[in-house]
Amino acid sequence: LRDKLNLSTIHIITVIVTLALFAGSLYFVNHNQKFYDRPIAEVKSAKVEKSIEMEDSSGNNDKLYTQQITARLKNGEHKGKLIHLKNEYSLSGANDQPYKPGNELFVMIDKNQKDPSALTGIIQDVKRDKYLMIIAWVFILLLLFVGKKQGLLSLVTLGVNAMILSYSLDVYLNSGGVGLLLVCSASVILFTAISLLFVNGFNEKTYAAVISTLITTFITLLISYAVVKLTGGSGLRYEEMQFLTRPYETVFMAGILVGCLGAVMDVAITLSASIFGLFEKNQEISIRALTKSGFEIGRDIMGTMTNILFFVYISGAIPMLILYFKNSSPLGLTLSMNLSLEMARALTGGIGIVLTIPIAIFISIFFVKRKKAKE
Amino acid sequence: MTMTVQLWLAAILFILMVLIGGKKGASSFAALILNFMVLLLTIIMMNDPAINPIILTLAACVLISCISLFIISGVNIKTVTAFISTIATTGALLFFILELTDDAMIQGFSEEEIEEAGAFSLFVGVDFVKIGAAMIIMSTIGAIIDLSISISSPMKEIHYHNPDISRKELFTSGLSIGRDILGTSTNTLFFAFFGGYMALLIWFKDLSYSLGDIVNSKVFTSEMIFIGSAGIGVALAIPVTSWITSYVLVKRGERDKEV
Repeated sequence: LRDKLNLSTIHIITVIVTLALFAGSLYFVNHNQKFYDRPIAEVKSAKVEKSIEMEDSSGNNDKLYTQQITARLKNGEHKGKLIHLKNEYSLSGANDQPYKPGNELFVMIDKNQKDPSALTGIIQDVKRDKYLMIIAWVFILLLLFVGKKQGLLSLVTLGVNAMILSYSLDVYLNSGGVGLLLVCSASVILFTAISLLFVNGFNEKTYAAVISTLITTFITLLISYAVVKLTGGSGLRYEEMQFLTRPYETVFMAGILVGCLGAVMDVAITLSASIFGLFEKNQEISIRALTKSGFEIGRDIMGTMTNILFFVYISGAIPMLILYFKNSSPLGLTLSMNLSLEMARALTGGIGIVLTIPIAIFISIFFVKRKKAKE
Repeated sequence: MTMTVQLWLAAILFILMVLIGGKKGASSFAALILNFMVLLLTIIMMNDPAINPIILTLAACVLISCISLFIISGVNIKTVTAFISTIATTGALLFFILELTDDAMIQGFSEEEIEEAGAFSLFVGVDFVKIGAAMIIMSTIGAIIDLSISISSPMKEIHYHNPDISRKELFTSGLSIGRDILGTSTNTLFFAFFGGYMALLIWFKDLSYSLGDIVNSKVFTSEMIFIGSAGIGVALAIPVTSWITSYVLVKRGERDKEV
């Protein structure tokens, strides 16, 4: 009974703390205007002044609107004053949107004000921090609610991994000499150790998974590096990275290294856990039977696992693909401009997933054999 | 014809899948190609402003789930319940994401992408809010399918070994299986996203934006909504799949007994 009571006290405290953080942070993002240097205005009324139908050179029909907006400034020296803004938007909304009362906008107040009672200005951007907070909280609460302790563990792992990634990129950017691939390789070792050891504990099953993950990830990187070098990078279009002032190919390789890591870890721990599970259930099980079961499990998961990466990478290109098509670009050019890197990432990830299967099986069996020999 | 990087990689993937997976590996590769074609066809159909991208996406998800589940693993009670669960999760997620994409105004393109688009006309008459939501759903569908089959498959085994198990007990064991794979599934997605955003992350750091600029920017918010929605989809799939599978299995068990 006592144990039960203690557990529920911890439970209640966790729930209360979470709810307090939840309420506090939502209050904060709705009342943090004074922390911003840029003037923020909340839309009070918005009226469509005129609309025109238009057709572009590819024959697409769209509609353009002009909105007259009255908004109230929420920070800075003009706090509380009304400001008049104009917003032009299209029905399709590729780079614009209509505003409605309640929306908060970053604005620039015009320098020369003719009429001091009514300010004028231009809209610069939307204040999006509240939506960021909403998605973060829905995510956190759902993970905690569904996953309980495991949900909390994966949230913590995610946070720590994000910090490591951020820190290692800082190291790369601030010390000119250190290569990106080297920094990412070091992070990959940390990511793997933290993600697997933290959730699965220090035992042989986890060690086998960590070693298989590291071996597979680096072999996968080597394969993609060799392919890119042998073909001279033919078919890779780096246009989508053109905003970057860093060597594209290295950044792309680093992305491949980190991108396939999660999937490789997933397959590695699934296989090592199953093989150790089978061994623990039946200590007399033959190595042959273990190998066979391992490959059977591997076969079952390889299809859906490769699918995951495919959809993650290809989907991100959808709006740009549509924009290309709508501007009458030929199919071949549209695909090679927008999918070349994504395809390469998805395929390399797939190679990593499939390669993990034999590697994780052999390494797990090596650990099982060692355990057998000890006993 | 010169061999491009992608063709080489596809060839290597195919060979590995057949070597390691045998016949199942070959059908997994075929499913991958089919899925890619469905996705491409969906994107091409999205160009028609008369077709609602949301309905199109739901139809594509049905097709993609059929391909990923039935072609690779055949039609049986496990794949059927995983199929129903995938569609249910996707449907529920879609409305939440649609609302959020609209409110957060992350549709269409970010400033960096607008630069890339250069001389293109942006007024192309399609609904970028709906397309944005469709894109987020599509990016998660693979993970939701994977999770659903990973839960429904062992639940079927549990029910097979304990035919008298109650629906509630079966549901609870489904949840606990789901909890065990939640961490690795979210991990798979996060690292995939991190890898894809590598260029963007470096760019953010290079420009040394302030925190306030970053958290309000269209590109950062939309990437976070991508990652968050993927995690939400995976977490949501756990109770949905457990509930549907336990319902179907227990119902079928009772029916079999009566017969």
